[in-house]
Amino acid sequence: MSRGLWITLGTTLGVGGAVFLGSRRASAASPSTKGPVDSNKPATLPAPTIELAALPTAADVHGDLVTNWGDTPPDLRPLFMLMEEVSKIPGTARLFGAIASGESAFVTTAHNGNAEKEQDERDDSRAAYTNNKDRNPPLRYGEEAADFGSGGLFGALAPYFLWTGVPEVGKKAPLLNTPPELVFQPRAAAFAACVYMQRLLAHYRIDDHADIKVGWASPSLLGKGRGSEKYSEVRARFLGVAKTLGIDLTDTKTIPQKLDASAWPGVPAVFAALVGALPKDLA
Amino acid sequence: MTPDLNCYGDDIRQLADLAGDFDLRSAVDVSRWYTREWQVIADPLGFRQPLASAPTAIPIGGDLVTTMNLAGLAAFERALQAAWTGGTDKQGRVQTAVIQQMAALGLQHGELWRVSVDPTTLTTGACYPDQGRMHRAFYPDTAPGYFGDGWPGPPPRAESACGWTTPLVLHLGTFPWVYSTQLEVVGAGARWGAPTAKPALEGLQVVASLMEPRTNLRQDARQVAAIYRHFVTHTAPLVAHVPTFVVGQAQPGMLYRRGGILHVHQGSLHVAYLHGPRGRIAAVAYNYVLRRFANFFAVRRATVRALATLTSDVQQLARDSADPCLRQHAQETARAS
Repeated sequence: MSRGLWITLGTTLGVGGAVFLGSRRASAASPSTKGPVDSNKPATLPAPTIELAALPTAADVHGDLVTNWGDTPPDLRPLFMLMEEVSKIPGTARLFGAIASGESAFVTTAHNGNAEKEQDERDDSRAAYTNNKDRNPPLRYGEEAADFGSGGLFGALAPYFLWTGVPEVGKKAPLLNTPPELVFQPRAAAFAACVYMQRLLAHYRIDDHADIKVGWASPSLLGKGRGSEKYSEVRARFLGVAKTLGIDLTDTKTIPQKLDASAWPGVPAVFAALVGALPKDLA
Repeated sequence: MTPDLNCYGDDIRQLADLAGDFDLRSAVDVSRWYTREWQVIADPLGFRQPLASAPTAIPIGGDLVTTMNLAGLAAFERALQAAWTGGTDKQGRVQTAVIQQMAALGLQHGELWRVSVDPTTLTTGACYPDQGRMHRAFYPDTAPGYFGDGWPGPPPRAESACGWTTPLVLHLGTFPWVYSTQLEVVGAGARWGAPTAKPALEGLQVVASLMEPRTNLRQDARQVAAIYRHFVTHTAPLVAHVPTFVVGQAQPGMLYRRGGILHVHQGSLHVAYLHGPRGRIAAVAYNYVLRRFANFFAVRRATVRALATLTSDVQQLARDSADPCLRQHAQETARAS
């Protein structure tokens, strides 16, 4: 599947090409999302305050929160485990931990795009929005998403984050009316990450766990880009992150060698279990 | 007259309130309070799940506090085993032996919370062999930090085989944050792993023992109060800059003060730090350490209040204590009964 087709499908996370392959990391722990002011842009809507449920706790999950987690923060492990359990893809919890470590250093409000030097990240989200808005349902906060860059636990590029679920449920995708700042709420970021994980496993050639991170960077690297310098670089970086974090990707007791998304319950079920209901005017 | 903690100062009484009050004579109270306190310990150390599944059945004639402490320690041990990823026993064995020796010394002198010893007087000299060289088994934590202004001396009386030039100082009362200058997101003691020796378990056993009335009374509370006040002196200016949590007004990812501790709204406490002249302190370490102080004085308060119902040797401990506040409480209890 080409990158163009992938974007048409709606949601991708952490797309950034050279930017991503550079030192992509959390640049801010502030939820501020104000970019440079452009008086030629249409007036934007004030972003509503959305308060999702608090992070899940150990009591909310069944899976093992002790073995092979390395230095993954104990208060985030239940979220990663809940993601694995609701998406019914065994073994993904620790991979989500390793991905979050690389994308955000576990800072839920990590934001690439709010700093002056991060114009390239804003360029990416602007391009993502501009190139895809005619093929996807409208976003109520499309302009804000275009200016946002990427952020959250899993480094989601704002327009794709808000289009999460469009390929599956079309105009009923749950985040179309929400502002991009919602990505700072870990349950919302987790929902998008689950959808993306499932899509990678269902539609792409994933040879091993490092390939998942390659797809996270850019699905095109799993196709024509496979074996390229970028492909190798993303893999090496991910393996390094996992090692530093202390997660053993070869531990088949906690991470099966081959991940299986065949029991995926669907976007609505995953959204309901992770995020719950949004305020009526946003749903 | 109901004994309280006023003798130690108003700040100490308020500190104890952070952990809440309980009646040591009430099984329901003890069960509720110790369950919650072990959860507070388990959350930052990552063993909440094993704790939840730990058996808590009380043997007939058994002591409830001891039973709950044993359950907590067993859960921690299970987590240690599950999380262990490699390493040798050389350092772990020495660490285990040294902690046991230091804990015994500390208890003997009524200063178990912070133990400072000449490392050359310890078995193995607090050194362990590796690849033909001798290494220090612990970090020489002697610079000014959050628990004190430093312990540069006295130097060891004998020559150290592994280069000790200062005392060995461990803050066992706040295990695994045992070093005054290393309040990182993972306490140094939590990384003490070994295949068979379990120095980390030894460390947490000290924490558990201070929650047990007898050991709590043997610890001189003045040492704990002094370390607590030093901690507060150096953290209060940092915490003062943290906004207060207000329901409905909190922003995701922001660090707040909430209920006397630090809280990250919609985020992980494990990525938040306070930065001060004595170095950075992880928010999770701040909360844990503060709670250990609060826990100590909450147990002290409950124990003193229940003193008349405790065994005569425990009452004698209080009467013979070097701590004038405790002696005063013991006398009040004796008069009242």
